[in-house]
Amino acid sequence: MGNIKGKAFLLNENVDTDQILPGYAMSYPVEELKKVALCGSIIPDFANLVKSGDIIIADDNFGCGSSREQAPVALKSAGVGAVIAKSFGRIFRKNAINIGLPVVVCEYIDKIKSESKEDDEFDVDLVNSTITNLRTQNKYVLNSLSETTLETLQAGGLINKVRNKLVERGAL
Amino acid sequence: MNIIEKIIAKKSNKEVVKVGEELSVKVDLVIAHDVTGPIAVEQFNKIGVKEVYDKEKVVFVLDHNIPCSSVDSRIQHRAIHEFCNEYGSKIYGRAEGVIHQIVHEENLYKKGDIIVGADSHTCTAGAYGVVAIPVGSTEMAAVMALGEIDLEVPETYLINIDGELSPGVYAKDIILYVIGKFGTNGFIDKAVIFSGSTILGLKNDEKMTIANMMIEMGAMIGYIDQGEEEIGQVKETYCINASDLVPVAACPSSPGNVKPISEIKGQKINQAVIGSCTNGRYSDMKVAAEVLKGKKVDKGVNMIIVPASKKILDRMEEEGLTKIFRESGAIVTNPGCGPCFGAHQGLLAKEDVAISTTNRNFPGRMGHKEAKIYLASPRTVAESAVMGYITSPGTVIPLEG
Ligand code: SF4
Repeated sequence: MGNIKGKAFLLNENVDTDQILPGYAMSYPVEELKKVALCGSIIPDFANLVKSGDIIIADDNFGCGSSREQAPVALKSAGVGAVIAKSFGRIFRKNAINIGLPVVVCEYIDKIKSESKEDDEFDVDLVNSTITNLRTQNKYVLNSLSETTLETLQAGGLINKVRNKLVERGAL
Repeated sequence: MNIIEKIIAKKSNKEVVKVGEELSVKVDLVIAHDVTGPIAVEQFNKIGVKEVYDKEKVVFVLDHNIPCSSVDSRIQHRAIHEFCNEYGSKIYGRAEGVIHQIVHEENLYKKGDIIVGADSHTCTAGAYGVVAIPVGSTEMAAVMALGEIDLEVPETYLINIDGELSPGVYAKDIILYVIGKFGTNGFIDKAVIFSGSTILGLKNDEKMTIANMMIEMGAMIGYIDQGEEEIGQVKETYCINASDLVPVAACPSSPGNVKPISEIKGQKINQAVIGSCTNGRYSDMKVAAEVLKGKKVDKGVNMIIVPASKKILDRMEEEGLTKIFRESGAIVTNPGCGPCFGAHQGLLAKEDVAISTTNRNFPGRMGHKEAKIYLASPRTVAESAVMGYITSPGTVIPLEG
């Protein structure tokens, strides 16, 4: 897994799945989901602003609420390279990992935020569990990913991992 | 081991399991609906297996957009119908009701089972002593192929509620109070058990209301003590006295922003909703009908009644409830999710204020993101609908007891 480099979008706590992807959009064709990514949040025009590799930095409980996988799909297809937060809603976190979008817990969000300026770029290193502000060169530690999570991300998502399992069992 | 750990151990063929341990667990039932099912189906096809692990154990319920609210939603329904035709899994596609209610009515909740559901409120199953794991579509596809799910054994917390509830205080007030106390991130990745004399004395409908909203505290597993065996060791126990509880509402825009009705009464409303997997059952309808009988919904309020199932609607018709609602000026819709998740059947504009028996009031949950939603019990919602503003139970008709 290579590093992820991009501009950071800062969000607060409790960004729920309705803010990430509204209920009515759960019926949208997959390729349309990115157009409404985060449209219910404090950055309603996120879809127009985000560039490939950009990073979301948020507080507690990012992605709380619904099980809609369309939420992480919207972020990933809009270009988001990783989401770093103090904590995540469980189903969102799992969904993101399952589709290959890295989401990582970090205890230093307040510090990262207070030491950054608008439009700062960051570098996320998943293998060594760090995030670096490229302007200040300040480096912050991320919580390490569990082995299962790393496996899933390395396989490129859960579907590939399941395929490997079935091949091993001779069922595919 | 506690009761939840025992179930996990049994389903993973282990003598003992420990907190934090990662296991593959056998799954007894997999469920999804019309807005999570289609991606699950697509991902399942990518896996390339020829069959689902057990077609009797895979169930789809079309409840979110029924009848279809858009061309896109019709495409989703068609995808699920096609999948069920091909793989033989069960489908409820004729507005039979909300997924969690249907699973109950079809007697698919079996104590000690593990259910995986592509819906966050799969935790409703906890009311029946089922360990329910909510997942997204890709994980559901994996479970349909493998018949098992990987999970880590969570820490378990116990919430004991003892004593008698005051008149006007309902199961909805209990769970809202608890969410308010612990916050929407109170139990992320944890298992939570509700017990105590108050909980054990509740009817199944009421237990479902409580189990349903455990996800609103971030819980991985929500479970109601069935009162039949020792709960066993838990990480921590919290005790709540039922007689301290009062009617409450979750205020805009978080299920954790809970205040007593006495603090917010007088707030004008434009919409009142009774329904959903939280409070759309017959007993909820009965409470609302007693308030609305012979009364009119305030002329500034749209009242929408959404039965959680066809069986409930049938009974409402037999017992004259539908007529009471219609005569009061309310709209009775077909069974399903209704406006609960913001796609159709009663969306709000920017200036609107709603009071609803549903489970989420996030910004945009029921339409415009600046619209305000209060969550409360069916009794509080019905009384507020008559008055045109939020009011305490007992305003329109006297409290019993
Ligand atoms: S009624 Fe609401 S919360 Fe329940 S399953 Fe339907 S959309 Fe989800």
